[in-house]
Amino acid sequence: MTIVTPCPRPEDLYFYLEGELGPYDAAKLEEHIEGCDACREALAERRRLHEAFVSLPPFEVPEGFARSVMESLPEPEKRPLAWLAPLVTAAAALGVGLIGFNLFTGLSVFDILVALNGFFGQAVAQVTPAAVKAIKVAGIVLKVAGDILVAALSGLTTVIRLLGPQGALAIGLLVLLVTLAVIGARRFLNQGEQS
Amino acid sequence: MTEDRQFVSRALKGDRKAFEMIVRKYEQPLTSYLGRVTGEREAALDFAQEIFVKAYCSLASFRPEFKFSTWLFKIASNHLIDHWRKKKLATVSLDQPIDNEDGEVLPQVADPGPSVVRKFELAEIRQKIERALSSVPAGLRELFVLRHVNEFSYEEIADLKGLPVGTVKNRVFQAKELLRKRMEES
Repeated sequence: MTIVTPCPRPEDLYFYLEGELGPYDAAKLEEHIEGCDACREALAERRRLHEAFVSLPPFEVPEGFARSVMESLPEPEKRPLAWLAPLVTAAAALGVGLIGFNLFTGLSVFDILVALNGFFGQAVAQVTPAAVKAIKVAGIVLKVAGDILVAALSGLTTVIRLLGPQGALAIGLLVLLVTLAVIGARRFLNQGEQS
Repeated sequence: MTEDRQFVSRALKGDRKAFEMIVRKYEQPLTSYLGRVTGEREAALDFAQEIFVKAYCSLASFRPEFKFSTWLFKIASNHLIDHWRKKKLATVSLDQPIDNEDGEVLPQVADPGPSVVRKFELAEIRQKIERALSSVPAGLRELFVLRHVNEFSYEEIADLKGLPVGTVKNRVFQAKELLRKRMEES
């Protein structure tokens, strides 16, 4: 048989065996091999080598290797109790405050604690009803605002569904234009008042 | 791959069992890679242990969009480079042609020549490859091992080593032709 194509590069023989050669080049190589004894022999040799390359036995890992790796890992860092620091600081500040108060006023710590209890008790008694009222009002305001938002969104969704994306875009542009016109008009009127 | 990400995520939350699963999954391929590249089994086991510790300590830097195996082998490859630097082992530049002992550039195109491989059965060929592998420059040997022992794709090796794919392909080919030549000579 006559050789019709040039001999392939040796690296192409390996790429062919690895399936790394494109279909066109692989077909060309196969066609060439048919008519070239030297290349056929070279390919056969590299095929045997390739089979040996990809079947080299793995290195044995001794039993318990993973365990010994785990034992050699550093211990995770013990994170300090983050919440403890402010608590200790607050207690220390209270202690210092009480001692200072005692030194300045001559009142005993017990008297100070009784006075503090009375002060906080009064404060809580005054603040609690107001806080409850404020929470109730905030709840109502939030509910109303939420209902308005939901209604606005559902209206907008319906409009977009009815008009399609182009329609929605047109409305958006119209709203923008109207807004700009209103702002412009206000500025114009303001200038008129100043002059 | 998803399994690896889950293990990493759990290990980052302090689950040491999850990291042990990673170790069990990769101990064998990693040791094979290190063993074939260094040619020393005991050193390979020591290196594997050190690499797992390194990986554990820098687990937070692993980005889940990448393959865990590539990340782990990148650590291993850098570990070997450090080892070679310390030992001042002659490594091969990946941008220069490979010379043989006589200072001649090895032929890039191998002559088909008389086939020596035909004389041997597959097992014998493997033994010869293992012996010949130690004579291949470390830089080429590593790429050959990553490709044919660890079965990474050329693209993955290129990513792992920070080299162009074409360079990796060329270097793996050179390693194979060097092996073939050494086997012919033996």
